[in-house]
Amino acid sequence: MPPIENDTGKNELKTQIQQLIDSNQVMVFSKSYCPYCVQVKDLFKELKIECNVMELDLMENGTNYQEMLLEMTGQRTVPQVFVNKTHVGGCDKTMQAHKDGSLQQLLSGETQAYDYDLIVIGGGSGGLACSKEAALLGKKVMVLDFVVPTPKGTSWGLGGTCVNVGCIPKKLMHQTALLATAIQDARKFGWEFDESVKHNWETMKTAVNNYIGSLNWGYRVSLRDKKVEYVNAYAEFVEPHKIKATNKRGKETFYTAARFVLATGERPRYLGIPGDKEYCITSDDLFSLPYCPGKTLVIGASYVALECGGFLAGLGLDVTVMVRSILLRGFDQDMANRAGEHMETHGVKFIRKFVPIKIEELEAGSPGRLKVTAKSTETDEIIEGEYNTVLIAVGRNACTDKIGLDKAGVRVNPKNGKIPVNDEEQTNVPHIYAIGDILEGKWELTPVAIQAGKLLARRLYGGSAVKCDYINVPTTVFTPLEYGACGLSEEKATELYGQENIEVYHSLFWPLEFTVPNRDNNRCYAKIICNKLDNDRVIGFHYLGPNAGEVTQGFGAAMKCGATKEQLDTTIGIHPTCAEVFTTLDVTKRSGGDITQSGC
Amino acid sequence: MAHRFLARRIWTLSVNELRCLPSSTATVASSSFSTSLHSVPNRASFLAPSRSPAVSHASLRRVSFNVQDNEDFTERVINSDLPVLVDFHAQWCGPCKILGPRLEKAVAKKKGRVAMAKVDIDDHTDLAIEYGVSAVPTVIAMRGGDVVDRFVGIKDDDQLDSFVSKVIGQ
Repeated sequence: MPPIENDTGKNELKTQIQQLIDSNQVMVFSKSYCPYCVQVKDLFKELKIECNVMELDLMENGTNYQEMLLEMTGQRTVPQVFVNKTHVGGCDKTMQAHKDGSLQQLLSGETQAYDYDLIVIGGGSGGLACSKEAALLGKKVMVLDFVVPTPKGTSWGLGGTCVNVGCIPKKLMHQTALLATAIQDARKFGWEFDESVKHNWETMKTAVNNYIGSLNWGYRVSLRDKKVEYVNAYAEFVEPHKIKATNKRGKETFYTAARFVLATGERPRYLGIPGDKEYCITSDDLFSLPYCPGKTLVIGASYVALECGGFLAGLGLDVTVMVRSILLRGFDQDMANRAGEHMETHGVKFIRKFVPIKIEELEAGSPGRLKVTAKSTETDEIIEGEYNTVLIAVGRNACTDKIGLDKAGVRVNPKNGKIPVNDEEQTNVPHIYAIGDILEGKWELTPVAIQAGKLLARRLYGGSAVKCDYINVPTTVFTPLEYGACGLSEEKATELYGQENIEVYHSLFWPLEFTVPNRDNNRCYAKIICNKLDNDRVIGFHYLGPNAGEVTQGFGAAMKCGATKEQLDTTIGIHPTCAEVFTTLDVTKRSGGDITQSGC
Repeated sequence: MAHRFLARRIWTLSVNELRCLPSSTATVASSSFSTSLHSVPNRASFLAPSRSPAVSHASLRRVSFNVQDNEDFTERVINSDLPVLVDFHAQWCGPCKILGPRLEKAVAKKKGRVAMAKVDIDDHTDLAIEYGVSAVPTVIAMRGGDVVDRFVGIKDDDQLDSFVSKVIGQ
């Protein structure tokens, strides 16, 4: 059969196909030998749904049909599945639709048109990545973002925690503190300068926030350019497929969507003691604080607490950290304690095994004076202290309690507000997904949320099957001496494999840059954990030293490739660097051998 | 050495490259900006022939107005009888702080034949998004409600004069 050349023939064929689509609940264009077509036909058989099948390979003018279908749907391959006049797609799309419930919905005739293909709740790293990717794949997408001001009234723009009150300002302020050390070192390297060096908080704050302003705008522009509809309003479910959006003027609008992604993130937790919300600040307030915080008490030993306490001390402020039990829960404790000790030797005071019970204002001001009363976790001892600023950093709560999840039937862990999902970020409600910090048992890291969001959109709308890999995620804590890690902590490795089956190699080291200023000798520390049962594969990587993020990133890639101890040993080091220490680790922790370093 | 390199970079940086871009290039733009903050005005005044009597501060203030909201924009920009230059700017954008006064000066010279509106893109995001603003400063020229011309980034006094002249059809 030759291709149809004239338009009349073409139009006739198109009408024929359209009639088939319109008159059958399920219409499948197939080829009799194609295994994917068989899979689809079997699915409908299994569902006991009658479907009309046209085997194109058994028809005289089958190729013409296929050409016309390409023109009509943009899809060349078979099977092509239509349910209640809607083009579902090929085999993968049909199976996916079956899995997430949208096929059942199409079959039941509930073809009510939703306003959007996808609504993403939360304009942070994960939500933005997911919404932009979905729009790129041709879907109609809306993203809603709304920042509820802190008790102190702090608020910010589009982009979520990382951009506004997390990674970005944190690292810039950490850099500010590192520069102070560099200035001190500079004299030892021969730089001569007379003026006393001072730091101006407001200059730093303004510069940092100007940069953030440009990022907020950049996100807004990229949503426009990628045709994602953005609404600055608070979203909550009123029905499984419907949300209510309330803007800052209190105006309510309702939107519906076929699918939803929850990406609402977390906010700092308060203590629930007298005076905490009235007088204390959190990391949500710190980075845009209009005045220098002065003498500061940091409550908590989370990474947020140690990073903030660290850079405040680096700016020359009097900083105390009040710790209930341990530093950096969940991280390798050997490393956490070393990072803490370094802070202590650089003037940060630690009050251990105490919890605050009351905060009182002695004097208002910018900053004012606060009195903190704290109680021992072990005895009846009560202590009091006076500070200009009290920063609470005792953890974060998932923002899942006020978004109407009960109305949508989404299951939430009542203990921590986190949302359990399967390995495809799907909640118990098939058309609702969740990504980012609100996931139960997953990393609370921006790049993880971005990756999960992107891959989710590609699976939903791009026919991809790639899932987000939450294993061997590298990360860095920007304490004054930075701590980079990838894989398992020593505690976790011991728990999983048993002490006898792991080998820990470690070493202290002295960065060349520290030698001339003669500081921090034998403070930096490198450690890897190897699985003896698996070819000495590296299952834990830990680095305490300068530029930890830069060092850890590459080793993270190596671990993704399954690097072994032998492969690290045969890697040539770059001299003189800190990272080269990982190519020459030969002392095991078990041996108790000397790990102090001297010379080349 | 480092200083010399920096100086050379500023010199080769053409003035209209100075603007705040969103996305990753923003870092580059703003870092080169901070160092050139001081050098650019000097260079501009060095290049530009000095102008006869400086426009007084009081008249400068009357030259432009801040757009209050969408309605205000419709009334005073779209429905304006005069051509209007709209200066989309942001608090966090350094180059905007240089361009704004220069543009006011250029507009003032036209003695009431062109108006100037200022739009803070963070306060009036919808307007900026609607008019396709991606980087700041962006200046659009409107006549009879239509956009007739636009530019992005910094321009020197001469360039601004000719831009404004073109808009009013001189």
